[in-house]
Amino acid sequence: MPALANPEIATCGQHALDAPWNVVVHNDPVNLMSYVAMVFRRVFGFSKEKADHHMLEVHHKGRSIVWTGTREKAELHVQQLHSHLLLATLEPAPQS
Amino acid sequence: MKLEAATDGALLLQEIPPFLFALLAEIPGRAASDDPRVGARFFPDPAADDELVEDWKSLVHPELQELFQSARETVRADLRSASENDGTRALRIPHNHTDAWLSALNQARLAITEESGFGEKDMAAEAAPNPEDPREMALFQVGFYGFLQECLVRMICSDHG
Repeated sequence: MPALANPEIATCGQHALDAPWNVVVHNDPVNLMSYVAMVFRRVFGFSKEKADHHMLEVHHKGRSIVWTGTREKAELHVQQLHSHLLLATLEPAPQS
Repeated sequence: MKLEAATDGALLLQEIPPFLFALLAEIPGRAASDDPRVGARFFPDPAADDELVEDWKSLVHPELQELFQSARETVRADLRSASENDGTRALRIPHNHTDAWLSALNQARLAITEESGFGEKDMAAEAAPNPEDPREMALFQVGFYGFLQECLVRMICSDHG
């Protein structure tokens, strides 16, 4: 394995890769509330109560962060949500 | 029209009047819209990141396209097998086709909504539609498909508690 030319940059890049990402679901006027909650239970394994909580947050606030974790898994979840025709995006989670 | 859950988990739609069966028969066609607004809704950007958006288009969109098309074909086949009796139709949605129906119904609802430019206010309207008004009839169609979707969601949720 070759020596790193600039270990500081490499470390910084690795940190960025490990930084958490949010999966956000956005409101739309078409998807039924019951359908959205059902999709949350299927994709994330939420309890009925947790699925309903996020569904209502989407409905009332326009968006809900439904999952936070690695970028790779966030992309997978967004793909799953798109396959159910939900409006979903991923975004870097704010770091304290 | 009568709806009934069969013991094998299928949803039975019986005594479907011609007008409603005609709406059901439109599901695959309405869902396969080539309107660019519908395309944008079916395949939204995953993030504000140009590189990811490009990767998404080449890797994820074809998979989603195939999934959506497969659902439409399943629904089309179920509709073809609908039986006719005394001027009404009967349709059986097998349990293992419920996901395909949910998808196709959702695709059709989204497509009609995008093509007609319906917003939150339109979707909340509860007045009886004027059959002479194509826009009101399109809204009725979205509502009818939503009703069926709701029935399927309730069946699935009662399966899983």
